[in-house]
Amino acid sequence: MKRSNEAMVGVVILAALILVTFGTLWLQGVTLRADEREVTAAFNRVGLIKAGNAVKLRGVRIGRIREIQVAPQGDLVEVTMRIQEDISLPDDAVAIVSPESLFGDWQIEIASRDHFPEHRYANPREPDHLPGYSIPDISQLTATADRISADIEVLTERVGIAFSEETARNIASLIENVENVTQRLSDLISQQADAFSGVTEEIQVIAEEVGYAATGARQSFERINQTLAREEFSQALSDMTEVTASLRQITREMEGTPEDIRGMAVKADSTFARINSIMAGLEAGEGTLGRLLEDPTMAQEMEGTLQELQLLLSDIRENPRRYLRLSIF
Amino acid sequence: MAIQIRDLYKSFGEKEVLRGFSVEAREGETLVILGGSGSGKSVTLKHVVGLLTPDSGDVVVDGQVVSELTSNELFKLRRRVGYVFQFAALFDSLSVAENVGMGLRRHSDMSQDEIRDRVTECLEVVDLEGFEERFPAELSGGQKKRAGIARAIATRPQYLLYDEPTTGLDPVTRAMIDQLILRMSEELGVTGIVITHDIDSAFRVADRFAMLHEGRCRFVGSPEEIRSTEDPVVRGFIEGRPELMEKAQ
Amino acid sequence: MIRLLGAPFAALGRGSTTLAEGVGRWGMLTGQTIQALRHVDVWLRLLLPQMARVGVDSVPIALFIAMFTGIVLALQASYTFTGAIPLYFVGVLVGKTMMLELGPVLTGLALSGRVGANIAAELGTMRVTEQIDALETLAYPPVAYLVVPRVLAAIIMFPVVTALAIGMGIFAGWATSIQLLDMTSAEFINGLTLFFVPFDVTFAMIKATSFGFMVASIGCFFGFTTEGGAEGVGHSTTRAVVVSSMVILVLDAFWAVTLL
Repeated sequence: MKRSNEAMVGVVILAALILVTFGTLWLQGVTLRADEREVTAAFNRVGLIKAGNAVKLRGVRIGRIREIQVAPQGDLVEVTMRIQEDISLPDDAVAIVSPESLFGDWQIEIASRDHFPEHRYANPREPDHLPGYSIPDISQLTATADRISADIEVLTERVGIAFSEETARNIASLIENVENVTQRLSDLISQQADAFSGVTEEIQVIAEEVGYAATGARQSFERINQTLAREEFSQALSDMTEVTASLRQITREMEGTPEDIRGMAVKADSTFARINSIMAGLEAGEGTLGRLLEDPTMAQEMEGTLQELQLLLSDIRENPRRYLRLSIF
Repeated sequence: MAIQIRDLYKSFGEKEVLRGFSVEAREGETLVILGGSGSGKSVTLKHVVGLLTPDSGDVVVDGQVVSELTSNELFKLRRRVGYVFQFAALFDSLSVAENVGMGLRRHSDMSQDEIRDRVTECLEVVDLEGFEERFPAELSGGQKKRAGIARAIATRPQYLLYDEPTTGLDPVTRAMIDQLILRMSEELGVTGIVITHDIDSAFRVADRFAMLHEGRCRFVGSPEEIRSTEDPVVRGFIEGRPELMEKAQ
Repeated sequence: MIRLLGAPFAALGRGSTTLAEGVGRWGMLTGQTIQALRHVDVWLRLLLPQMARVGVDSVPIALFIAMFTGIVLALQASYTFTGAIPLYFVGVLVGKTMMLELGPVLTGLALSGRVGANIAAELGTMRVTEQIDALETLAYPPVAYLVVPRVLAAIIMFPVVTALAIGMGIFAGWATSIQLLDMTSAEFINGLTLFFVPFDVTFAMIKATSFGFMVASIGCFFGFTTEGGAEGVGHSTTRAVVVSSMVILVLDAFWAVTLL
């Protein structure tokens, strides 16, 4: 009687211990296999990853994050990962932090630098550490868009101050680019509308709206072209300001109405496309316009944030369902 | 080696149970405390082993004031005192043998074999040999009471306190328990306090009587003295004549 | 008139003093319990049988409750999430709810009925039949003999039983999901692991430990303070269950506020 009591107590406690230990490890994604190795990557910032999150290669889980530490110098975040021993990484491997889904879980994707050359990777201190880059999340992008529109406004003002014939030519090519992008944008929107015609009427409505906007923009650009020919720069400038204003309004809408993400995504797409083209125009000016900026780093900064915006946009284009899902909440 | 109860006061809430009770049990004698139900006899007995602490007054056992002892000293004292509870208070979850051996296991360096021998011996004394493996629920009232006595005497105490040892038992068992009390006193020289309202039994075992009435000691004396006392309360009680007691009020 | 008006206040006052007195006496018993830990020789032998009673004997009822909770959670989650939310959220809901709330609390409540009542009834009976006095006269410290092993056993075994219950609840949720809800095992497990942090387990164990301590010590308290025969025992038992159930819910909220 007593002996079996002891045995039962032992069995029950042991069962609970095993359950808790292995259950926790399993849910964390820890495998007890010894054939794992550690890889460290350096980041400027790491988004929302935490220990235990997945590490993936080509979309397949190959390990997990073990530790996240700020380097003693304070300029880098070093993330230690444990991955399967037998998997070899690309020679020019980089680590990219990104959301795994929109529900708050993040991951590290290991990829070849060739595939994502556009990112600005952190420079690791140790040679065997992977350079890392963290994709910003959607709220950061909204803030960035706002900042960019403010920047463009500043830029436009400065353009007004120092307008010359040379810069006028640059603006002409910039406007050409804007037209191109607008066309691309409407194509894209009609594609999307086709793909999700069953899903939403809203998108079609918005596509029409954007179409209007594009037409309006083209008209105003044509006017700019004409006025430029007549060297009436002041008119061109006011058109420029108009574009900027609409950009700002869209940005405000993005912040104000998060429930309508579908519309937001489309509007954001067009807005970003416009910004893109303006920036492209900037580049085409070979720094002529860039020199107008008091702070030369501003252009670089804008370029970086623009890249981030483009990434989000391409992601929306590739995985629209991921973003559509948000509207459900 | 005696138990002195000195000017004991104890109340529970509004109810004053003891109001200056004093009595002494001298070494080797059996003192019977008489008193009606609810007169505070059990309360008195519980003070002797420190189960209750007095509001004022002392209980002195072996020259030690019980209420002033540390818990360790109290445990040491309790080893020398056996307590027979009114309803035996056997531990339901333990067998008779485990019940009887309980005190031995706690504070003696006896081996398992010695404990088993002592338990058998004590059970023989109370005529319960062969009941070792029974559980209290399987015993009759008289058997429980005897097992309780066996438990109280197992540690060979110098003092034995009996809380109504014969109440509710048949005459044969009562006689047997009276003989047991006498044997303890005569063979082992145990100092005993018996509280009871069973007059027949009281006269069989008592060396001396005390009567507890209204929280005080109403009478102390030998069996001869109590038989010849003129006190109407005492007479009324031992002769079972309530009208005498009422008259005295 | 004044007396009439004063009656509710007097009742309130009496109620609060009774409550304060009860809490104070429970605190004293807890203090004595901690002091009595030094009598290792007394309670150590009794710990294992108590662990068997508190823990092993409670496993079936705890698993039974957890199993049906897991099933119902999965079904209701899928009912709520119809169409709108991806089904793997059933896994999130079952896992999180079992670990953070229902596993510890339902086990605690079930065991407060089973263990708390049992302790209060047993000690109450021992009190009214003078068995606790008898222990003292045999030089056993009753708190060390009766309270310490029960409280320790509950502290050790509540988390154990809770862990098994959580495991059972999640297992039942998983089985329901793949059998009745057209989910794949991978989907459920994906949901289960999505927001899991090891602290969830720690949190459940902290809760279970505190519930164990409260249920056992409250049961012991009401058992020890029992007065008045069989009726008193019944009274103590009821109060032990009611009070410890309430304390479990209050503690539950307390931990949620302090630890989450």
